[in-house]
This record gives sequence, structure tokens and C-alpha cells, in this order.
Amino acid sequence: MDPIPLSEPVLLILMSLAEEPRHGYSILKDVSTMSDGRVTLSTGTLYGALRRLLDDGWIERFEQEDTSRGRQAYRLTANGRRNLQTEIRRLKHLTRVASMRVAAKES
Amino acid sequence: MLGIYRSFLFLYPKSHRAEFGDEMLRVFAEAERDLAPFGTLVRAAFYTRELAGLATGALEERIRSGTGVRSWEVFPVRRHTVRSEFRFPKFTLVLMTVILGAIVFAIEQATAIRNSVAGASPHVGPIQPVHFTFLPAILLCFACAYVAGMVGWAILFALRRSGLHRLDAMNGRQE
Repeated sequence: MDPIPLSEPVLLILMSLAEEPRHGYSILKDVSTMSDGRVTLSTGTLYGALRRLLDDGWIERFEQEDTSRGRQAYRLTANGRRNLQTEIRRLKHLTRVASMRVAAKES
Repeated sequence: MLGIYRSFLFLYPKSHRAEFGDEMLRVFAEAERDLAPFGTLVRAAFYTRELAGLATGALEERIRSGTGVRSWEVFPVRRHTVRSEFRFPKFTLVLMTVILGAIVFAIEQATAIRNSVAGASPHVGPIQPVHFTFLPAILLCFACAYVAGMVGWAILFALRRSGLHRLDAMNGRQE
């Protein structure tokens, strides 16, 4: 997996899985909801990202009890959650610095 | 449309298709079903996005499986996540219209040439599969598009009109 900073689609996918295990279509809808419809992933983009995240051990397949619809769910691994938290801290730092700079300029 | 989607999946390496093919098809079918109440324009945008996503995704997978190189090492533009919310759809529509117009014009020209020199051209036999392979043609198109994009960006950079220069100019104005 590429070192952070993460691309926006990957960050949104990780954020979606941080809440609960989800299957592909649920991730697509959740990403769109989280970004207010600004980011709409195609299935090609989604599964390219999922494959990379699986390869790097950031997410894993999750066996749901209800497999009647044949959907495959995914969830964050401990490593993925740790990396997501690192990225969130980086973004927080960035926004804090940005706010300070903007505020200093305005005053 | 499911058939077209399935045929685009064949652009992917076999391993990726075996692992995710059925799942991708299922997700696409679900998304398509949920679009039923929407208009033609929304569905057209959805199909365009899906097929373009498949084509670029397949290219990335081919590069990765063939060379082991990650996509963003080849396509550095993926690392930049800042983008306009409003400019892209309009620009895409204009671009698609221009491309469609060019294709229609080319077909009309070819038809006119064929009609004006009827019988002058020697007979051409059926095209054998060995003379045309779909995947190399697609890869060549992507390579050309990528090179054209890089050249375009280099020209903008040389003219100091790239995004970096515009940001610099904005910062300069704010200061």
C-alpha cells in the first residue's frame, strides 16, 4: 500500500469500513453519502482499491451470517484501522495549521 | 447492459476476474437496478462512468500484474485529490460532444469517399483475427492519451498556466 497521504477514494472507503463491515454496493452508497454525492466510485475503481487494500492487509474479507444474496463483505484489519487513524491525525494537523494561518492573515 | 459490462470485464487479467468478476457484476446490477427511476441522462452518466472505470481499472491491473508497478507510479495524477466539483461534468459533456461530432464527421467523410470512388478500390478480404487484437489497441489508445496528457501539461507548465502556477498566482494576490 502506498504510504499516506491516501487518495480521497481510498480514504473514503476506509472511513466507510471503519464503522462496520460492508459489501461492495454498500460501500459505494456510503462513499457517495459521506461526500454529499461529490465522489461517486465506479465498480472498477472500487474493486481496484479493495484488491490493493486486501493485498496490503488493511482490510479483510468478512463472512456474514446471512449469505443468501452471495454478497462478500469486507472489514478493516487492526493494521488498516491504525493507518486510518494516522491519516486522520495528519489531516487534523493540516487543518489546524491551515486555520491558524488563515486566522493570522485575517487578523 | 449487463452483457457489455461482462465483456469489459474480459479486459482484466484472469486472476482479477476470477477473484472479483462475479462480485463486480453483482454490484453493477444492483446499482443499475436502483437507477431505474432516474432519467436517461443520469443513466448515461452512470454507464459512462462504469465503463471508463472498468477500462482504466483493467489497464492498472494489467500494468500491475505485468510489471509489479503500482498504478500511481505510472499515473501520478491519481495522487492529486483536489478537484473542482462543477467543472468536470460540464467539461466532460463538451468533450464527449466534440468526440461524437468528430466520429460522425469521419464516418460521413469515409462514406462520401467510398461513394465517389466506387469500384476503384481493390477488393479487401476478410480481416483475420491475427491482424487485429483488441487489447493491444486499447493499451495503445491509453498510452497515447497518457502521453498527450503529459505533453499538454508540459505545455501549460512551460506557459506558466498550470494549476501550480495558478495557485501561486492566487497566493500572490492574497498576500
